[in-house]
Amino acid sequence: MMNISKILKDSYHVMAKDMLELRRNRMQLAALFMMPLIFLLMFGFIFPSGGTQQHMPMGIVNLDQGQGSDEFLTQLNLINQNTSSMDFINYSSVNEAKTAINQGKIYGTFIIPSGFSDNITNGKSGDFTVYIDNSNPQSSMQVQQALSGILSGLNDMKAEANVLQLAKDTDQQINPQTMIFPYVLNVSTTIPGETNYFNFLAPGLMIMIVMMTVMTGIPEAISKEKEMGTFDGMLSAPISQISVIIGKTAALCTRGFVQCVIILAMAMLLFGVTIQGNLLLAFFMLLLGIFSFIGLGILAISMSGDQASGTMIVNLLMFPMIFLGGIFYPLQQMPWFMQDISKFIPLTYAADAMRKIILLNAGIGDVLFQMLILVAFGVVTMAIAVPLFRKSMTR
Amino acid sequence: MTINAIEVNNLTKKFKDFTAVDNLSLTVKEGEIFGFLGPNGAGKSTTIRMLCTLAQPTSGSAKVAGYDLIKDSDKIRQNIGLVAEKMIMYDRLTAAENLRFFGKLYDMPKQKLEERIKELLELVNMQEWENTQINKFSTGMKQRINVIRALLPEPKILFMDEPTLGLDPQTTFSIRDITRQINQEGVTVILTTHAMTEAETLSDRVAIIDHGKIAALDTPENLKNMISHGDTNVFGTKISNLTSELVNKIKSMDVVTAVAQQDDYNLKISAQGENVLNEIIDTIRGEGGNIASVTNSNESTLEDVFLAVTGKQMRDQATEKAAPTHHRHGPTPKARVR
Repeated sequence: MMNISKILKDSYHVMAKDMLELRRNRMQLAALFMMPLIFLLMFGFIFPSGGTQQHMPMGIVNLDQGQGSDEFLTQLNLINQNTSSMDFINYSSVNEAKTAINQGKIYGTFIIPSGFSDNITNGKSGDFTVYIDNSNPQSSMQVQQALSGILSGLNDMKAEANVLQLAKDTDQQINPQTMIFPYVLNVSTTIPGETNYFNFLAPGLMIMIVMMTVMTGIPEAISKEKEMGTFDGMLSAPISQISVIIGKTAALCTRGFVQCVIILAMAMLLFGVTIQGNLLLAFFMLLLGIFSFIGLGILAISMSGDQASGTMIVNLLMFPMIFLGGIFYPLQQMPWFMQDISKFIPLTYAADAMRKIILLNAGIGDVLFQMLILVAFGVVTMAIAVPLFRKSMTR
Repeated sequence: MTINAIEVNNLTKKFKDFTAVDNLSLTVKEGEIFGFLGPNGAGKSTTIRMLCTLAQPTSGSAKVAGYDLIKDSDKIRQNIGLVAEKMIMYDRLTAAENLRFFGKLYDMPKQKLEERIKELLELVNMQEWENTQINKFSTGMKQRINVIRALLPEPKILFMDEPTLGLDPQTTFSIRDITRQINQEGVTVILTTHAMTEAETLSDRVAIIDHGKIAALDTPENLKNMISHGDTNVFGTKISNLTSELVNKIKSMDVVTAVAQQDDYNLKISAQGENVLNEIIDTIRGEGGNIASVTNSNESTLEDVFLAVTGKQMRDQATEKAAPTHHRHGPTPKARVR
């Protein structure tokens, strides 16, 4: 039996050799840097953003021409100035506005009926209509959201004026805001400041990229050497097969780490993601994640023998992991059976723990459960994969 | 007292139903150049892979450098060098980087390793290519580096699997020279080849191997004598109106052990017994064959031996210095063996 220091020394030689090969390969090197960039940009932007749209073109048809509607439109403009969510265009008739909608010039139109001012002066409610083009559900939703905001603003303004008027008439000292909004909501969040989708995405993406690098990398690196014949050179030398695995994994981990740093830096610089937690713990988590995937990678190459089928097996395992691991969508939003499946995927736990560490400053104690699962998954898969690998090497 | 470099006892390797190596037994003495001669798929490479601990034997045992193949595989690996069919080198690394990487796997001290690299590069006249990436090399240059890579840890036994396959004549000669040279320095060499002259000129002893079995094993001289002086006759004949029926007729003769058709007119016939030549000539004439010439040279070649012992001609499988790729129409497809 060979001693551990020899195994580790050989592992280092294999890793150094692999890194040198990578350094000489410009295309691979470029891909190494491009992959996290593209992934972050791609996944960051394909999903509809949660923010509200601005400058939505809306028509205004004022059939009233009284003082009440003028006042209403002034207030509408005033409130809209804060958010600039809408741009207003005046039309003289409803038909004209509808034509504009059909031509795609506006998303919808405000219609203020005649008698609007009279209703307000006579103490009735000022009814008006907003005609919305809902052939595009996305923009129709946006318009409605903006409308409800604007409307509550308008009502607030009007109510405040009314309350003040009442107070003056009855000679009372009144704070109109507490009259109109007796309950005030304060939202306080775990992460200070505004968060966006990247906060959710970045930690999971880091762990996913490392997983992809390691899981596709191991079968690829080993079968490439097998097919080139260089594997025989290593195995006919007095080194352990374990050294080959460790060395190759270490080289792949280094690649994965570089990619993780790129993701993290990009997420922070471009997308304003902030790190609340302990970076060291985050990288330790990354290592644990890698540990849990290695076994699967080795299993793939042991079962297949050649590069093409190895890659196929890995893809077969990887794609469900990527989509069910809760990297892109919160797991809780998935149907129950998908949630159940995701419980068998190590990526789920790794991504979850990573998010907690980076975003919530979770300590080891908070993610101990996830860590144990990852270790267990890694140990079990490797216990199956390593003997299979050794056997496949001397077939 | 000489000890045996390799002792093989009933070594067998099966791939599912296919037996690549069938109950092989032999010994190789220390300091010998031992040649395995046989067509593709004969089991040469599989035998070498097993002896290099790269493949597990299905049954049987072997000792390499005095160590048991199964129990002491680590010790065996410390004592062998391998020049495999595929070159063991990384394209993007330089010659020196390749040598250094493999040297480190043998735990060679840094200084000794550097000295050895220098020495070996000189041996193959490639000092000035030390820091050039392998992918810029010609096949011949690559193979020279590949050979000295196997020699780095000063192995006791050097395995060479088709070391001159697809090389130009010049490199072929230089590889053979190096082989002789290191053998004179005391290294035992196990060589597989399907090049007759290589087996004949390099090897002290040759095992003709076919279908995983040894068909004949002796010095090249003795193997050839077996034909010129023994019971077996191998001779060539040129028949101007050769037909396949005639070939089959000759094959069906009791005294004839093998017939190999070399081209449209020439046959090589291996037969056993006395006065067989007359008998065969009579038969050919009786069938209407028009014999243009008969050659029965006293200088028989290993090729004749091969025909006599395997019933096949070697020429079909591979011609020396032929195409750089394998000929793939051997008796068993190569793919099944790997």
